[in-house]
Amino acid sequence: MTDLIFTVLFIEAFLLPALIGGGIALGMGVIIMIAARVFFVPVDEKMKNLVNILPGINCGACGYSGCEEYASALNSGETQDAGKCPVGGADTASELAEFLGLEKPDFTPQAAHVFCHGTLYHTSKRFDYSGTVSCEAAHGLFSGPNSCTYGCLGFGDCAQACPYDAIYMADGIAHIDSTRCTACGLCVKTCPKLLIEIIPKHLNAYTVKCKNKWPGAQTRKNCSIGCIGCRMCFKTCRFEAISMDGPLAVIDQEKCTRCGECLDVCPTGTIHNGLMVAPDSENHPRSTGLHLWVDPKIRKKQAEAQNNTFKQDE
Amino acid sequence: MREFLIILFSAILVNNFVLTRFLGLCPFLGVSKNIKTALGMSYAVIFVMIISTAITWPLFNYILYPRDLAYMQTVIFILVIASLVQITEMFLKKLIPPLYSSLGIFLPLITTNCAILGLTILNIDEGYSFVESMIHAVGAGIGFMLALVLFSGIRTKLEHSEVPRMMQGLPIALVSASLIAIAFYGFKDLIEQLFG
Repeated sequence: MTDLIFTVLFIEAFLLPALIGGGIALGMGVIIMIAARVFFVPVDEKMKNLVNILPGINCGACGYSGCEEYASALNSGETQDAGKCPVGGADTASELAEFLGLEKPDFTPQAAHVFCHGTLYHTSKRFDYSGTVSCEAAHGLFSGPNSCTYGCLGFGDCAQACPYDAIYMADGIAHIDSTRCTACGLCVKTCPKLLIEIIPKHLNAYTVKCKNKWPGAQTRKNCSIGCIGCRMCFKTCRFEAISMDGPLAVIDQEKCTRCGECLDVCPTGTIHNGLMVAPDSENHPRSTGLHLWVDPKIRKKQAEAQNNTFKQDE
Repeated sequence: MREFLIILFSAILVNNFVLTRFLGLCPFLGVSKNIKTALGMSYAVIFVMIISTAITWPLFNYILYPRDLAYMQTVIFILVIASLVQITEMFLKKLIPPLYSSLGIFLPLITTNCAILGLTILNIDEGYSFVESMIHAVGAGIGFMLALVLFSGIRTKLEHSEVPRMMQGLPIALVSASLIAIAFYGFKDLIEQLFG
């Protein structure tokens, strides 16, 4: 009798829970096994290699949402263009093309460029801003404290967004080190003033480093180095590379031959020669004094003097 | 219908899982650094809450309870929820890849979170029917999302503000979390006023 009670108790108290628990666990295990078979997704080796070739920072500069998306587009033949990744540059493009058996694409290296050089010395402050250290926040407050409401605020949202450490802040504006820049375009998206653009990476590029659309007199008042829309460069350019966007001159980088004639006629020194490099580099404008505004006549003399020294070197 | 609304809104506002019940605090502090990841996590939580309620409620009421095995609910629930999420993940990967990639890493992360287990056990404790449990699950998920999105907004502000050095990072996050929690207590009367 005691045996029977013991057996019943044993079954009730231990065996049944163990069986139910174990049964559910086993059932789930079997279902997972079946599911793993039924829903098996084969991993494409080719895809894996393509993803490995790409830089893998998922910046989206290629027009796809990430490196994997671009790889799958290449893999499925959706796109034949292996040169869409500006970050990887020519190396990645040719490697991709080789791997896929496509034609090698023409790859022009590009770099981001800040279209403003109104530093602390060229602009003034309309009010003291002591809020959040962020361009976006400052931009929301009366378009920021700068006298030029089109210009760089210098709080470094772009520098924070840059995964390559290519952007540094100096004299209250952002500079992009073109040697580090990969043209991924992340900074372009963050700038609330829309000052950053991707341009071909010519170290000798000529750019109108200004985006303001004010009439000349107002520009003059607020920034000593802004484009006043005098049309001097527009008239001088022999290659029709300069167009006027209202009161602002714009240089078409494709048509520009980098002759430098516009630089000489610009009365405000808005046109800038060359892409920026890192502050520790020898060619940095801080050491050459290029980014500070100099009277054009004096600068012309300086340029001539420099040319002469080059000639002497030769 | 009125009971359903009461359950839904009290789960979202009054008995908010994160801010009143203090369940699911690790994802609340872990992935609330920006709105994008907060939303991704919230979708995964809503999703897992619904499917886990749909499976644990019948399991408890038709298998465990009639056999006096209610004490085994925690073990069984974790087991079932974990494997269910695993299966759903495979299912999504094969059949709805966009949803899979948007839920991404959050789906396996949330599997055995206390908010999920807490929800399934609360459903049983409160004596909800199946439909009520499902509504409670949806409400709890939306409440989680609300708390997470609100908090991610505050955290992005916190990153830009000057915080005393000893309070930087997690301490100030916890302090602000408790302030929101106190604010949420204000909703207590709201439900009574609306439906009472």
